[in-house]
Amino acid sequence: DLFYKTETQLLQALNGVYGQLQTITTSAYIFQEFPSDNTTLDFNPLDRGGAAGWEAFEFSTVNQGNGEISNVWNQYYSMMYNINYTLEKMAGSSVDAAVKGPIEGQLKFIRAYSYFNLVQYFGDVVLVTKTLDKPDAAFDLTRSPQTEVWAQVEKDLKEAVALLPATYPSGQAGRVTKGAALSLLGKTYLTQKKYADAVTTLKQVTGYTLNPLYADNFNPAKKNGPESIFEIQFQGGNDLGEWSTFAYTFAPRLSAGAVTGFANTTPGGRNIPTNDMIAAYEPGDLRKDVSLKTSYTLNGTVVNIPYIIKFTYPHTITGRTDNNWPVLRYADVLLMLAESINEATGPSAEVFDYLNQVRKRAGLAAVAGLDKAALRDAIMKERRVELAFENHRWFDLRRTKTPAELSAFMSAYGAKEKAKPTVDRGGIAFNALDYVYTDNEYYLPIPAPQILISSKLTQNPGY
Amino acid sequence: SFVLLCLLTLAATRLYAYENAPLDRTITGSVKDEKGDALPGVSVVLKGTTRGTTSVADGSYRLDVPENNATLVFSFVGYQSQEVAVGNRTKVDVQLAVGDRSLEEVVVVGYGSQRKQDITSAVSVINMKDIGEQPANNMNQMLQGRAAGVVVKTKAGTPGGAFEVRVRGVGSLGAGSNPLYVIDGFAVGTSVGQNLNPNDIESISVLKDAASTAIYGARGSNGVVLITTKNAKEGKTNVGFSLDYGIQSLPMTRRVKMLNGVEFAQFKKEIFEDQIRILQKREPTLDEVPIGFRYPEQTKYSTDWYGLILHNNAPYTDANLNITSGQGPLKAMISAGYYKEEGTVKKTNYDRFSIRSNLGGQVNKFINVGLNINGTYTRQNLANTDGRSALLGGALLMDPRDTPYNADGSLKPYSNGVDGVFGFPNPLYVLENVLRRRSIADLLTNAYVEVSFLKDFKFRTSANIKLNNNTYKEYVPSTIGLSVASGTAGAPPRIATETDNTEELVNYSLDQLLTYNPKIGDQHSLDFLVGYTAQQERVRGFTGSGNTFPDDLVPFLGSASIRSSTSYEYGWVNLAALARANYSYKDKYLLSASFRREGSSRFGAKNKYGNFPAASVGWRISEESFMPKTDWLSDLKLRASFGVTGNNDIGNYPSLAFVGANNYILGNAFAAGKVVSSFANSELKWEKSNQLDLGMDVALFNNKLTLNLEYYKKITNDMLLPISIPAVSGFTTSLANIGKVQNRGVEIGADFRTNIGPVNFRTNANITFNRSKILAIKGANDMLYYGSFYGGYNVQKVGRPIGMIYGYKKMGIFNTQAEIDAWPKQDGAIPGAMKFADTNGDGVITYDTQDMVEIGNPNPAFTWAWTFAADYKRFDLNVMFVGAQDFDVYRNIEASTMNMDGVFNVLDKAKDRWRSPENPGSNPNAKNSQGGTSYFKWSRESSERYVYDGSYMWLKTVTIGYNLPKVKSILSDARIFVTGNNLLMFTKYPGNNPDAGVRGGTELNNDDESYPIPRTFAAGIKLNF
Repeated sequence: DLFYKTETQLLQALNGVYGQLQTITTSAYIFQEFPSDNTTLDFNPLDRGGAAGWEAFEFSTVNQGNGEISNVWNQYYSMMYNINYTLEKMAGSSVDAAVKGPIEGQLKFIRAYSYFNLVQYFGDVVLVTKTLDKPDAAFDLTRSPQTEVWAQVEKDLKEAVALLPATYPSGQAGRVTKGAALSLLGKTYLTQKKYADAVTTLKQVTGYTLNPLYADNFNPAKKNGPESIFEIQFQGGNDLGEWSTFAYTFAPRLSAGAVTGFANTTPGGRNIPTNDMIAAYEPGDLRKDVSLKTSYTLNGTVVNIPYIIKFTYPHTITGRTDNNWPVLRYADVLLMLAESINEATGPSAEVFDYLNQVRKRAGLAAVAGLDKAALRDAIMKERRVELAFENHRWFDLRRTKTPAELSAFMSAYGAKEKAKPTVDRGGIAFNALDYVYTDNEYYLPIPAPQILISSKLTQNPGY
Repeated sequence: SFVLLCLLTLAATRLYAYENAPLDRTITGSVKDEKGDALPGVSVVLKGTTRGTTSVADGSYRLDVPENNATLVFSFVGYQSQEVAVGNRTKVDVQLAVGDRSLEEVVVVGYGSQRKQDITSAVSVINMKDIGEQPANNMNQMLQGRAAGVVVKTKAGTPGGAFEVRVRGVGSLGAGSNPLYVIDGFAVGTSVGQNLNPNDIESISVLKDAASTAIYGARGSNGVVLITTKNAKEGKTNVGFSLDYGIQSLPMTRRVKMLNGVEFAQFKKEIFEDQIRILQKREPTLDEVPIGFRYPEQTKYSTDWYGLILHNNAPYTDANLNITSGQGPLKAMISAGYYKEEGTVKKTNYDRFSIRSNLGGQVNKFINVGLNINGTYTRQNLANTDGRSALLGGALLMDPRDTPYNADGSLKPYSNGVDGVFGFPNPLYVLENVLRRRSIADLLTNAYVEVSFLKDFKFRTSANIKLNNNTYKEYVPSTIGLSVASGTAGAPPRIATETDNTEELVNYSLDQLLTYNPKIGDQHSLDFLVGYTAQQERVRGFTGSGNTFPDDLVPFLGSASIRSSTSYEYGWVNLAALARANYSYKDKYLLSASFRREGSSRFGAKNKYGNFPAASVGWRISEESFMPKTDWLSDLKLRASFGVTGNNDIGNYPSLAFVGANNYILGNAFAAGKVVSSFANSELKWEKSNQLDLGMDVALFNNKLTLNLEYYKKITNDMLLPISIPAVSGFTTSLANIGKVQNRGVEIGADFRTNIGPVNFRTNANITFNRSKILAIKGANDMLYYGSFYGGYNVQKVGRPIGMIYGYKKMGIFNTQAEIDAWPKQDGAIPGAMKFADTNGDGVITYDTQDMVEIGNPNPAFTWAWTFAADYKRFDLNVMFVGAQDFDVYRNIEASTMNMDGVFNVLDKAKDRWRSPENPGSNPNAKNSQGGTSYFKWSRESSERYVYDGSYMWLKTVTIGYNLPKVKSILSDARIFVTGNNLLMFTKYPGNNPDAGVRGGTELNNDDESYPIPRTFAAGIKLNF
């Protein structure tokens, strides 16, 4: 009751939501990259105890007791409370409407972004757009059909587009812009296969250009550059508690300081590029060396474990990196435009132009003359390498495949990994259920604790 | 209040009606004790009047009595009262006999005291005199085994650590269950901490039922422990000195036995071979076995890591000096104590300096004053001992083939995992190099002024203050590696860290009590009490932490390259008005009623205040005329009480929503952010308990045998529980007034004393049956469970007792693949694996909580204690047994020490594991036997496999003493004794201590290898000059 009264307080409440989004982003790879064919893990043959929760996403053994799904569910809905609460309190405050508008736009964007992710993780989810007046009311909430959730995402994004400014003063860089809302709205249409709407919306994303160097998108010295549409902000090198740790999460387990530069550390060994992913790069693709490495050298010994280096930059303090996380960037918009137009009206010069803009920067030859299906494949392949390890792959696969196609596709990937694992498993055999994909895994299970607590929540089929 | 006090003092002086009785003649005499020694402090009263005096140091007294029919009543605590008709004598000498727990004895109760015979509620009294000598670093220990219904658990042997005390069961699922401690009238909170020298304690009363605790209102639900410190008795100056010295060690029988080096190598070899056999379905060749354990018999070293860190002759010293002066109007007791204890785990220790000064007396006829001051300074060197990833768990799990020392004799910092065994820091190195130090300075003062005015009125105002300064420092140098780390991944150097915390606590309370004790003839006795009390506590603290030090030479935050700090402040306020009336008719019909209205800052705006009424009745049947006067029945009293108490041990601000920091970066600069961190609930109500108590006190054979019987039923309503709410609300938990718990029980106490010739015997036994039952949580089928994989679970379920152990039900061992195939799908199972029940019948044993059921009951069927004492001439003997029967312990550490992956050392009994259907080990289908082969996934989860019966009988203490002859006018009393503590435990429980538990609250009996309980042998001397 004492808070949410002044402009400063409202802005702090908004920043708090961004702060929560920061936490969610730190583990988003588990849900959006890890399950896909892009990455695997640096298997630890000794510790077969500790990490089953996130490992399950690689091996396709996620069950409803999985801790990661529980965490992400709780984190999103906690953020949702703060979004809704701030929106409600703001409505009743006497702060100037000109101040309220952009705050409302940002909150609605984040709410839309949350549901955009949740609906693709879980299918039908509980749609909460206002806060509860007492805890008991939560027991009555049920899951809403996906169509309603998508409708809410579109509604929030349209309102956000109207409320948000195109740019902010440099001191506010990192806030959601109109371009971000348009890009996400375009992606929302694309995901729902509303290609014509996607084209018109994405074409309104203006004022952005590709960085001349691919690496500039990830370089902490060039945060929020001309290609950046929305990125989650982090800052290392100080005690403010706002650093990122991706370089440590993704470096091989036993690489000590060979990758991160700080010897006394034990990296996570997660999100390890698969052989399949490494092979996806065309010869001469400049993006490969920016994105990953296939070995490291520790104490003079070369260890052949691949790992992501996109987010690995020198930093001054152990464990505190300065890297932002890219959520939306212009290359993504170009490729979405190419995909939307190809799907809506088939190949055209425009489509090839969008695709080749991205290929050109990567040092690759332009493509031309493909038919619709071949062009679709070329765009998908381009998305895979251009946006590699940026949490796009799983949604791209889901968007372009039916559940049956997806499980067949992933089973093929699993068979490859089982035959020749990217990372040596120290003689430990796969479990029988590893890489066994079923159609229902198109959706994650609703977390078991939630099902236990609330009799009104139903479980997804097959869990 | 001081102004008020002065006014009252003036008024009292003027209004006091002085009894100007005729002075006819003077009686003198002396009072002696049973041995013929002078007994000072005996009350000598002219019967039927208030005229009286007390005997002085040499036992003599002097009293003026009227001419005729004078009868003197001599009474003294612990002695039988004696009435003597004076007749014509001018000198009356008496010798008092030891009163066998005289009913005249005065018992300290809430905000006052009462004669034992008048008490109508359930109160247990513990007199320090009865306990005799036993090493006690802590006052909780003195409660152990002494009172029915009071269960004291020795959860760990940490020097300076407190024990867990429960009065009549765990009463709450959400709020705390510790009793309230009251020291000399000052309610200090739910812990005495380390700040009271047990030698300064005179007596302890434990208030158990609502009739006795409702006067403490919001803090009465879990029972109240009233501690009275020693005061000077009437008499000459006495100097007492005592010194105990003892050594402590962990008996071999209570040590957990692991495989030695050779056995472990053999085990590893077999595990490796089994993996090939089972996973690759072929016979391994010797070449395939890694060289490290190919030839187990050639294993060079065998280290008992657990034994390495134990201090086998850990000394303790307890020295006390006590001076009392009981002459003159102001009496004084001054004591100084020093206690030092080395822990059974090396480098851990505790010491305490304490000084106490209790002053009190009569300033004039109207004014009594008292001032108690207690100062304590304690220091504790701690270690992170409890649990699988801490020192003790690690010491069990470490590779016995490694050595603690380098070739040059220096300590190795880290035992690198080799051949697939996990790495751990060398526990001895950790003990020697990690600094964890706590020091506490504590000052406790009680002051009061009591004014007698008008006739029969007394007004007492008291002020109590507690100041506590608690400082903690922890420095973990860069040479300490990680526990439970695979291979060299956890090896040092690592980042050195330091944490410093300092906290200041101020707690003060002001009590105003008015009592009215009118005399209305012989038949009626009446007293009233009204009072007002206010208490406030404030805590301020500061924590600084830092890491990344240039070297380990300067363990101060100033040299850390990364530092952060935080400060905090919190507090609470209680305000209460209270009233009580006691009435008795002909000492036969007893009636008591009390009421407290209390407000607490901790509750929601809509429910700040609560009412706590209680009433009790007593009937002393033995006083009835229809009861035949027999030789054997000395006293018989029936009692009944009912009352309402509260529990506000719920944290300081549960009803408010907090806004917490969650910051962000904008424009590459810091941007402050805020998020709501809890659901506000302004409707939070008091958690209240209704308690019924029925009691019977019987004294037989001239008080030789006393029996005490209690039945109680306590129902706690509106329990404050952090209930899980659907996360879609924005929060995963919310505090709400839901839930209802019932504790019912029977307590029986018996005390018997007699003498056979020159030998005096005394024996005392008590037994407690408590049954808890959860009546409601939220809806009929709801349950709460706490725990995690690798941690074990406790479940709270409607209709069931509190804290049931939860996990997979073990159905035996899979002997063959065919058995696995025929069983509901249990992912990853291989022959030799434990077979679990598919309790929900869905054909799959899922790797989560779905197939878990209750697998053990942590609540004992009964707990008991038995003491036996005898003395013969100058020798005496004191023995105490305590026990608990029929309860389960979840031995969580076995999820690691019986983990057959080969990454840890395993228990000695793993040698008898399942190897093949033909060679299945002994009784593989028994609940507590293990499977054999590597199947990590299921062995680390909560299962019936790790549930053991914890029933035990523990010979706690044996003391033998000898009283030395007195040296006239120098040494009035001298005694030497030897004592043993925690001597022998009879139990089938395989761990160190069936009372162990690493978690608190309702998460009962989760043993994850805690600080072991040592056996102590001590000798001491006690002198009085």
